[in-house]
Amino acid sequence: MTQAEIKLCSLLLQEHFGEIVEKIGTYLIRTGTQPLRMIVNDTGLSLDQVKKALCVLIQHNLVTYQLQKRGFVEYEAQCKRVLRILRYPRYIYTAKTLYNDTGELIVEELLLNGKMTMSAVVRKVADRLTETMEDGKTMDYADVSSTFVRLADTHFVQRCPLVPEAAETPEVPPPPAPTLVINEKDMYAVPKLNLVGKGKRRRSCDEDENHEHKAKKHKKDGEDAEPPPDDGIYWQVNIDRFHQHFRDQGIVSAVANRMDQTSSEIVRTMLRMSEVTTSSSAPYTQPLSSNEIFRSLPAGYNIVKQVLDQYLTLLADDPLEFVGKSGDSGGGMYTVNLHKALASLATATLESIVEERFGSRCARIFRLLLRKKHLEQKQVEDFAMIPAKEAKDMLYKMLSENFVSLQEIPKTPDHAPSRTFYLYTVNILSSARMLLHRCYKSVANLIERRQYETKENKRLLEKSQRVEAILASMQATGAEDVQLQEIEEMITAPERQQLENLKRNVNKIDASENQVDETIFVLESFIESTLKKP
Amino acid sequence: MAGRGGRGRGRGQMTFNVEAVGIAKGDALPPPTLQPSPLFPPLESRPAPLPGGEELEYMLALKQELRGAMKNLPYFVKPGAPRRDIERYSDKYQVSSPIDSAIDWSPDWRRLPRELRIRVRRLRPGPPHAPPAAALLPKCKQRLALDKEEAIKKLESLEKKEEEVTSEEEEKEEEEEGKEEEEEEYDEEEHEEETDYIMSYFDNGEDFGADSDDNMDEAVY
Repeated sequence: MTQAEIKLCSLLLQEHFGEIVEKIGTYLIRTGTQPLRMIVNDTGLSLDQVKKALCVLIQHNLVTYQLQKRGFVEYEAQCKRVLRILRYPRYIYTAKTLYNDTGELIVEELLLNGKMTMSAVVRKVADRLTETMEDGKTMDYADVSSTFVRLADTHFVQRCPLVPEAAETPEVPPPPAPTLVINEKDMYAVPKLNLVGKGKRRRSCDEDENHEHKAKKHKKDGEDAEPPPDDGIYWQVNIDRFHQHFRDQGIVSAVANRMDQTSSEIVRTMLRMSEVTTSSSAPYTQPLSSNEIFRSLPAGYNIVKQVLDQYLTLLADDPLEFVGKSGDSGGGMYTVNLHKALASLATATLESIVEERFGSRCARIFRLLLRKKHLEQKQVEDFAMIPAKEAKDMLYKMLSENFVSLQEIPKTPDHAPSRTFYLYTVNILSSARMLLHRCYKSVANLIERRQYETKENKRLLEKSQRVEAILASMQATGAEDVQLQEIEEMITAPERQQLENLKRNVNKIDASENQVDETIFVLESFIESTLKKP
Repeated sequence: MAGRGGRGRGRGQMTFNVEAVGIAKGDALPPPTLQPSPLFPPLESRPAPLPGGEELEYMLALKQELRGAMKNLPYFVKPGAPRRDIERYSDKYQVSSPIDSAIDWSPDWRRLPRELRIRVRRLRPGPPHAPPAAALLPKCKQRLALDKEEAIKKLESLEKKEEEVTSEEEEKEEEEEGKEEEEEEYDEEEHEEETDYIMSYFDNGEDFGADSDDNMDEAVY
């Protein structure tokens, strides 16, 4: 793990889980697999705190444990999974676009709690939805259940590995840690539950006082009642499926930008048909015949078969090679070249970064090098039609920032410098890695800056929160406008201005973090697609 | 030896032919850098403005909500308040730190390694609001509904937390009667309760060697 990744992980853990969890998580990421005793020794925290933190991390799938042969348990942190915390809003928003508010809340609850049983999720989501509905209406469990089943069918949520059914042999002591197993077939099987009920609306009295009572009462009820029928079957969000969805979205919008709406719809149809047949790391989808595509086009599109064939031919002939033709049977067999598409997306991102950072002439040189692969200094000047001095300057600038590299080709075995070719080239993979590293650093910087801004204005923020609380309570008890005015004036105009500035800055920084995360996704997908899977 | 003489001669001799990369003879090279690059280098071009749009604004709101929500979840482990050097009388009436050894949510212990199980040692309940009968809890709640004094409220909540933790622990312990370990612990705790000493001060040596010697937060007088 690079330093930048570790720093970013520790910032994310600290923001979302607190300092204790952050310390332990960072320690595990930095030093690898460790047993409990080592963690306690090296971090200097108390045993109970370490245990608590590990429970939290395991619950959220950020740390896994393994029973070693010698009988002790070792814990390992999943650095990549911690970095996904940055992408939670995008997952939740995607669920909203696909499955409306119910889906959004289901995914949100699962992300906030790590793993949950289906009955618990359904209950919580129904309660939350009931809160937002008008008085008198409640949300039925059946609706929430059906949305959950749909999410499971399309693989957006999956089952967690299960505790194996232990044979009841009292002589053999149970192992110190269960070895969790999951059967491929069962991963999306929804248990048959008979969830009947409606969401409960929380009474709107003093929340602070009664909240604890209610929580206690519910818990007592839960303890007294029998364990739910799906006890032990936990569900988690299937992050890879969401990534597949984002990738498909990226490809479709790229096609739409490059060609037109209809071609993007055709590609979208092809990708949809291949969702279940193609694994997420395959280089291209399974071949689809033109007849099948014609049948599966969405109902609104009434284009003739010939037009579809023309579109497919155009897509296959496009130099970007998103779609490839793999045969002629069935009216033409077509596939979507996933790896090539990801490479194109990553390349486009690189080009855009070079353009924004160095200017359009540098971008021209960059694109030239991408196209021609290796060029000498003189050739660059000629092809790009840029005067020698400026071309030299730009090339060195890009070289110093590692976007471009030099390749030596000796003419003689003694590598004499006067008799060697020096060619400029762009290595996409290494540039992508370099940029990804930079992205991690950027997000870490953004988070730090946001925390700094918030800390600087802490006093003011607390004051404004207090004033709002007073205002709210006074409005609830029906105060006059004059009194409300007086309270509002407790915050002076310059302070209000300062608060406005703070809010604007924090929003800007948050939005930037989301943006950088999109770039991170594109680059990571590309790099992952180039790694050879065993 | 032969190379030493040639090193200083000629401005900036390089190992390769500099003309090949385009540095013509007599060109001014940039001065050598004698320090690390500046921390905030000046930006040559202003970055493009952030894209707006409904989608991105919604995600922004989601992100901020998520951050706020996670701070209130039981998964957010707050460090215990630092112990003050002198125990003050008012400490009893302040909202104390979350009990380090308590865990606010109950994970499925079957899925976790056994060593992570947290056993709570009973803290001696505070003086006037004594014990523990679970039957008292509903009465306490009713009283609270009427009584709005903050101090009592906080004290009750604190006690409830202790109750909840210990009663939870008791229930769990009662469930697992098969395990000898648990039974022994339970018995020990029963015995422990009859003394006047605060049990958290006492290190019964059980964990010797297994755990690290963590600093006992309470000073032993």
